[in-house]
Amino acid sequence: MAGIESRVPSIWTTGWTDILNTGTWRNAIAVHQKRPAPCHGGCPVDGEIPVWVQQVRNEDFKAAWETLVENNPLPAVIGRTCHRPCEGVCNRAEYDGAVSINALEQYVGDLAIRKGWVFPVPPIELDQHVAVIGGGPAGLSCAYQLRRKGFRVTLFDANPELGGVLRYGVPEYRLPKKTVAAETRRIVDLGVNVISGQKLTGKDLGKIEQEYSAIFIAFGAHRPKSLPQFPDDADRVLDGIAFLRSVRLGSPAELGQKVVVIGGGSVAMDVAGSALRLGRQAEIIALEGREVMPAPEDEIEDVVAEGVRLIDGAMVKTVEAISKSLRLHCIKVKLDPDTPIGVIRPLEVSGTEFTLEADTVILAVGQDPELADWEDQVRVAKGMVEIDADYRTSRQGIFAAGDVASAERFVSTAVGEGRKAANSIAQYLGQPPALRDVTAIGAAQEPDVAFADINTFYFPPRDRSERDKVAAEVRKASFAEIRLGLTDEQALVQATRCFSCGACLECDNCVYFCPDMAIVKDSTSPLYYKVLEQYCKGCGCCLEECPRGAMGVREETK
Amino acid sequence: MSYQIDEQKIFNSGHAACPGCSEALAIRFIINTLGSDAIAVVPPSCIAIISGPQPLSSMRIPVYQTTLEASAASAAGIKRALLSKGNDHTNVVAIAGDGGTYDIGFQALSAAAERNEDIIYICLDNEGYMNTGSQKSSATPSRAYTTSTPAGKLTPKKNMAAIMAAHNIPYMATATTGYPDDLARKVARAMKIKGGLRFIVVLTPCLTGWGIPDNAGPKVSRLAVESGVFPLYEVENGQSYTLNYGPKGLPVADYVTRQKRYRHLSAEDIEFIQKEVDQNWERLQVKF
Ligand SMILES: Cc1cc2nc3c(=O)[nH]c(=O)nc-3n(C[C@H](O)[C@H](O)[C@H](O)COP(=O)(O)OP(=O)(O)OC[C@H]3O[C@@H](n4cnc5c(N)ncnc54)[C@H](O)[C@@H]3O)c2cc1C
Ligand SMILES: Cc1ncc(C[n+]2csc(CCOP(=O)(O)OP(=O)(O)O)c2C)c(N)n1
Ligand code: SF4
Ligand SMILES: [Mg+2]
Repeated sequence: MAGIESRVPSIWTTGWTDILNTGTWRNAIAVHQKRPAPCHGGCPVDGEIPVWVQQVRNEDFKAAWETLVENNPLPAVIGRTCHRPCEGVCNRAEYDGAVSINALEQYVGDLAIRKGWVFPVPPIELDQHVAVIGGGPAGLSCAYQLRRKGFRVTLFDANPELGGVLRYGVPEYRLPKKTVAAETRRIVDLGVNVISGQKLTGKDLGKIEQEYSAIFIAFGAHRPKSLPQFPDDADRVLDGIAFLRSVRLGSPAELGQKVVVIGGGSVAMDVAGSALRLGRQAEIIALEGREVMPAPEDEIEDVVAEGVRLIDGAMVKTVEAISKSLRLHCIKVKLDPDTPIGVIRPLEVSGTEFTLEADTVILAVGQDPELADWEDQVRVAKGMVEIDADYRTSRQGIFAAGDVASAERFVSTAVGEGRKAANSIAQYLGQPPALRDVTAIGAAQEPDVAFADINTFYFPPRDRSERDKVAAEVRKASFAEIRLGLTDEQALVQATRCFSCGACLECDNCVYFCPDMAIVKDSTSPLYYKVLEQYCKGCGCCLEECPRGAMGVREETK
Repeated sequence: MSYQIDEQKIFNSGHAACPGCSEALAIRFIINTLGSDAIAVVPPSCIAIISGPQPLSSMRIPVYQTTLEASAASAAGIKRALLSKGNDHTNVVAIAGDGGTYDIGFQALSAAAERNEDIIYICLDNEGYMNTGSQKSSATPSRAYTTSTPAGKLTPKKNMAAIMAAHNIPYMATATTGYPDDLARKVARAMKIKGGLRFIVVLTPCLTGWGIPDNAGPKVSRLAVESGVFPLYEVENGQSYTLNYGPKGLPVADYVTRQKRYRHLSAEDIEFIQKEVDQNWERLQVKF
């Protein structure tokens, strides 16, 4: 052998460069990393949005639903009612419009109802028994999570049917009863013991405490606020919540022909839209200007398109009873910009006085929890049950969340809080703390993927599309649902638009754009790839060419 | 989007290209597509450095290092020798820089094209003599700084693609590293068309020579295409033109302002380059 080698001319090649360790050149190395997407951070239920959206894209709808219901057992409901903070922070918003996440959620939720998908039976059964007071979104979410962990759950609700505001507040044309029923039934079918039609009082607490290992209070906020300038006139001045409830129950309260709704939030829009559908003429007076009204713009747009007259930036000063109707003396107002956050002080604009005639006035100016007989049981602050960061009340073993304990009045927030409270309750009952919701290594500490981390070359522009709505002329004539779900095709287009920020889809760009062949596929890694440290020179091309920010950098000091 | 390139592992890690080098990336796509039944001819250039310090090689195929003037002649000679030994399957490919193609190897290449030698000739165009310290070549574009054009080059880039197409060779294509699929497909196409000279010019951004960050090669190469500076197209037999990726309406400013070799440019200079690019595109566009 040695003899043959000695005859090889010195200019001939005798080996390959892969024995050279070019990894010593670098001072930083790119690492595959699951990073948090902004939509996830914005989601009140901590939804793994990029994950389930990709499952939709892969047409693995069952898996998408399963991912969704990890954190939120009511996707068809939330897909219709959420205020969509996720879309507000979606990275695609900076490019060609946010992904229609909420519409996709409705799509998956509706599909699950059509297909009859059910939750799996809890893997274990524990002896500990939790009482949940209130079957609205917060209570349902908490009961669901506790059942999944194996706890026994009894759910008390004052109403005959579950759903809280979803069932007795939000009107049919925005949220069909059958949708609420389908999603609540699925939770009950997990083995939740429901005691309905029973309104508990603070005095019941002691007894429940003896029978149950822990209690979750989630009975919402149902005591209407009132306005001093309106007379106590039960025939002509109605409370919005009670009115919506009467509509939901199928026996709407008596209304005159001309209805004036006071308020600028969701409830006011729902009241006006419902009055309109009952054949009445409806006007809304809101203190705030349209841009700053608490109701989401699309809800305002909907009722205005249907023919509700909106008078924004105005208030009723005095009310005069004239024969059968009421005369409202109103004035335009501006909001004092110098008030502390959360305080509204209207400043009258002189010379803008006007009057309105109303046969019926409906007040929709907010509601507080009914805590009169609970105050001596748990500590109450600012009109709500006081809780700490773990949803614990002042009383051992009693937890609370949702509208009863929070000023953030959203369905998705109630669901998210119900879930987190369930985790706290489980911990209180001796279970180890729940794992952070972010699944991959290190993801929790990483900053959100920013738009600048997205390589838009890989994403040809494609318009955002929203669900179609029934034409205003048609929809205002009935309580039928106004929003049409996405078609299969629209849903797939939306799912394809998702950048999948921070979550690798195995596109292999990192492999192919490495000039040093220093990245290889690794089927054993949850992150799919392995960086060959002996070769990586630290150029960062992989990171730059990753379409979705699913890589990070690790500095190396030698 | 997901790339589909058949990796033969013919190009090896451990080579001496700068971190992030687009020439190395181009070589990766080219020689893996060529496969093991190939012989490469490489003249002095960064490619020669990347191919390995003796006695090691980064390429698991025979590589012959020729002189800067003679890549096409050497490749043609090797091909003829193979043929005379009865081997009609091995691809002989010259992989040369722009200096070794546009300037110093030009007559050998033009002559080989005229004789329609049965070789593939690939020029990795980084727009200058980069291996020897960034001197200008005739591939250096207008106004670009090199160490030998300290105030910016006064004359435009030589249009090598047009010159080679004008030789009426069976295949001529332009490609760049930001579009690996397109580059690999063009190499495969060149392999398929046998019996004549096939030429591909690949724009390969030089990180140090152009003054761009180590991670920016592919991105800058795409900007060259999207701004119309370097359209990707193919010409068969000197007459059948196909556009693969053309300008997307991006101003050349988006391309030049990312490169330190253009940092001395005034607004008028950029305007001048924009006009030149527009004119070139107008002239080319009519051929598709
Ligand atoms: C008309 C209207 C429209 C709305 N629209 C939207 C919307 O589009 N999007 C959005 O995000 N949010 C909306 N909201 C707000 C949202 O509905 C609430 O924030 C959410 O329902 C709160 O959930 P919860 O579980 O805390 O309370 P609730 O939904 O109020 O549920 C409380 C439950 O407790 C029961 N209960 C009450 N007292 C007792 C008792 N003493 N004993 C036993 N049971 C009791 C009730 O029967 C009810 O079922 C709307 C609210 C209203 C009123
Ligand atoms: C005839 C001749 N002149 C000069 C040189 C010195 N030389 C070696 S490599 C090189 C640069 C080649 O530039 P290019 O072909 O563009 O390749 P790059 O280094 O840019 O990859 C030069 C000038 C030489 N080897 N032969
Ligand atoms: S693009 Fe997808 S992952 Fe990124 S923020 Fe939007 S929905 Fe979330
Ligand atoms: Mg060169």
